[in-house]
Amino acid sequence: MKQTKRYIIFIVNLCVIHGVFTALLYAQKKPLAQLLTQTASFEAGSPVVLKFNTNLAVSLYCNGSYGGTLVHSDTDEASFKLPKFLTSKKGIIDYTLIANGESIITGSILITASKETNKTLESYIGPPSISAGGNDYTMLVVIPTDIFDNPIANKTPVKIKHQFLENRTVSTEKISDFIAWKNIYSYPTSGRLLVASSVSEIQSKEFSIEVFPAQPTNFKIDYSRKHSYADGNQITTFTTSVIKDTYNNNISDGTLIDFVIKNTKGAVLKTRGSSIRGVATAAILHPNYADTWQVTAYVSGMAVSNKITLAYEAVTNKLPVAFAEKNRKITVGPLQSFMGQLIPDGAVVKLAIFQNEKLVETKLKTTDKGSVVFELEKGFYKQGFYSFKIEALGLKVEHQNMKL
Amino acid sequence: MSSYKNTYRVVLLSIFIGANVLILFGIGQLFSYLNTGVDRSSILHTSLPDAKVYLPKVTWENTSNPGRPIEKQTLAEIESNYLQSWYVKNVAYKTNNSLGIEDFYTQSARLNILNHLQDQKEKNIQIEATSIHHNLSLDFYSLDGQLAVLTDRDSKQYQRVFKDDKLVLETEFEANYKVVLLLEDGFWKTRHLVKQPSSNLVEKETTIPLCTVKENNIYIGDTLYQIKGINYYPQNTPWDMFGEKFDVKKIAKDFEIIKKLNLNTIRIFVGYKDFGEAEVIPEKLNKLKQVLDLAKTHNLKAIVTLFDFYGNYEVLDWTLTHRHVEQVVSALKDHTAILAWDVKNEPNLDFQTRNKTTVLAWLKETITQIKKYDPNHLITIGWSNTDSADLLKDKVDFVSFHYYEDLSEFEGKYSNLISKIRKPLVLQEYGLSSSKGLWDPLGANEKKQAKYYTDFQEILNKNNIHHLPWTLYDFTQVPSSVVGKLPWRKHQQKHFGFIDNEGNPKKAFEVLKGE
Repeated sequence: MKQTKRYIIFIVNLCVIHGVFTALLYAQKKPLAQLLTQTASFEAGSPVVLKFNTNLAVSLYCNGSYGGTLVHSDTDEASFKLPKFLTSKKGIIDYTLIANGESIITGSILITASKETNKTLESYIGPPSISAGGNDYTMLVVIPTDIFDNPIANKTPVKIKHQFLENRTVSTEKISDFIAWKNIYSYPTSGRLLVASSVSEIQSKEFSIEVFPAQPTNFKIDYSRKHSYADGNQITTFTTSVIKDTYNNNISDGTLIDFVIKNTKGAVLKTRGSSIRGVATAAILHPNYADTWQVTAYVSGMAVSNKITLAYEAVTNKLPVAFAEKNRKITVGPLQSFMGQLIPDGAVVKLAIFQNEKLVETKLKTTDKGSVVFELEKGFYKQGFYSFKIEALGLKVEHQNMKL
Repeated sequence: MSSYKNTYRVVLLSIFIGANVLILFGIGQLFSYLNTGVDRSSILHTSLPDAKVYLPKVTWENTSNPGRPIEKQTLAEIESNYLQSWYVKNVAYKTNNSLGIEDFYTQSARLNILNHLQDQKEKNIQIEATSIHHNLSLDFYSLDGQLAVLTDRDSKQYQRVFKDDKLVLETEFEANYKVVLLLEDGFWKTRHLVKQPSSNLVEKETTIPLCTVKENNIYIGDTLYQIKGINYYPQNTPWDMFGEKFDVKKIAKDFEIIKKLNLNTIRIFVGYKDFGEAEVIPEKLNKLKQVLDLAKTHNLKAIVTLFDFYGNYEVLDWTLTHRHVEQVVSALKDHTAILAWDVKNEPNLDFQTRNKTTVLAWLKETITQIKKYDPNHLITIGWSNTDSADLLKDKVDFVSFHYYEDLSEFEGKYSNLISKIRKPLVLQEYGLSSSKGLWDPLGANEKKQAKYYTDFQEILNKNNIHHLPWTLYDFTQVPSSVVGKLPWRKHQQKHFGFIDNEGNPKKAFEVLKGE
């Protein structure tokens, strides 16, 4: 019995000591001020009032996403109504209660995005054109905001819709890092891709993406001409077959096709045309001497055609040359074409003048009414013996040791 | 009568010439004004001045993102524009002026800042702020390269809030931000900026420092260290130790002399501007390293005083000084010749002109920065007198103070100081100029100087005080930036040495040696 009493006294003592110490500890811990407001999370736009329990003269410094401000209590109590421009912005607001230049309490509240979504949906798309076939893609990024221009909550579903010809696809992406995004891949056919998105009831505007044909494939070429004479006057026209891409789309209009012509001498001639509905056409003047052309067309770096061969016949085999005025006036012509008509103006005639087997001068002239006249002036060509080589329409004539 | 005439002539003529000069000058000014204007490069933002005005530490933690891989150049542009967005915002909140905001915030985002400015104007608030550190990671970069989302984790910031020009609050905090940037008009502009709940993921490495302070004593490794040193400038290049005339051989000879004087420590000075401010000149750093290597071979320790001749302290200038610290301190953090970093020489002299709180805030943050880059060495501040010496005493490893006042009052002031501070105390500068002469007829002569040192040594030895006298040499040249232009001031500063202009030891030399 006695022991029990002692035991009880001991326990009571313990309790008292414990109580005293707790009270002491509590007294030490008791802060200068206490936050009375219970909520720590507010929806953007709703009024935020922070109340504190303190006897000191205080003001409150609040620091939100974009910056900070000082708030003063309207009443005698330490109750602070945060300004709207601060509480309507999403994010943490850190506050510091200041008394006599010292911070006595710090803490933070969270502002969440408003449930009301902005009437317009901010969305970006790029690149604006892609190529057909399903390898290339464009990216839609949506940044939905609430009515206070805050990015809305993570994991909100965003519908991303696109239509291509008859195909319509709707997919749902969830917002993360303030954005929702989707890669939209091209289809095998070329055409126009229309893209839009929506968050709950809010619709974005429409975007259109041009799907261009993919790389061209190899193709065939053909030619057409009025006759096969090398008259230097008529035009030969080259045309391609309808050039397709890998997915059987006509290649984009305006694709440049180079026609590369190699002649018998090995020289390279070029002409060029751009495609319309997959077909490109290019023209070139006939040569003015007999020649054989090998023609290949290219879409530079991407596709090549077959090789075709064209032969041009000479219009004449006669090259009449007449000398007059002590051989100082040399008349070449009249040059006649395939029906005996005078050849069209502009055929090139070359006269090479030699003295003692040394080239003195090469004169070039073009025909006028079928003929060309070369005059060798006394001042330039002193008396003596000269040799002449005359070339025109692929024909050559030589006159040795002519006395001037 | 004719002399009046001549005077009138001269006056009229000079008025005529003066008027003409003024008219021509005016026309010239007008002409040059009309020739200024928008040129093409300024429209396209291709040649924006790349002024280094805001350089908080930036680290990229992660740039892999689900959108598309980012190019180095774009990443650099994003970083630069993001920092500029902080800079213009900080300037705006300091000056209550929205200049530059529209270049770095999109039309809808800048409204938020304008709201803050409006509020600040109404309440007459100013906020001086700077960010100190940004840990960036790239969350998203769009396929067309026009949109990026960043996370700025544990962005460290310092702010000072003024109301009616009175400081209300000084605060330092870390915050996380998520940022959406859009490429508009060639700038990455902030579209959304949201402060996120913080993540406390700070990892701290523990290293064993080379120098430590335990119970009012300085230790290097495990050995107790008593500073018996000297403030050092080479004789021919005072206040310009690392300039054109830098000569290792001469410094080596000086170190031999210092060694012969039985001294173990030197105090040297790193000029902020001299070393290239925010972009430290490698050549200068190399020279400093040479000096320290030399000190090491002579078994001398060095107290390196940073930020010599620095005087801005503005909050918006902080990040530039941090870059200076980063480059100088981290390059030498493992150097065993260094005993301590002295943050700044006599910063308390700037209290009046630069505001005490501004200077102290800068010192506090700079100490944090030095510790961050170098946990190995000690940190101190060279206060110019005993009154200021207890400022920031909890921040420094040992307290340094200078004493040029009356010798008889020293012991009293020292014991007062020792009662306030529970850290090692270092008498970092003291001395007497033997400047008696034309400019200073009442000054001390060499004999008096020697006597001063004899008496001082006695006190120092008695109390076992760490000390470094000013200075080894008499100087022939003292730059005006040190003591001003007045010749008698310069004259005094020239004669503090233990060795005279001809290189002969003065009477005090023997005192220092013989102690």
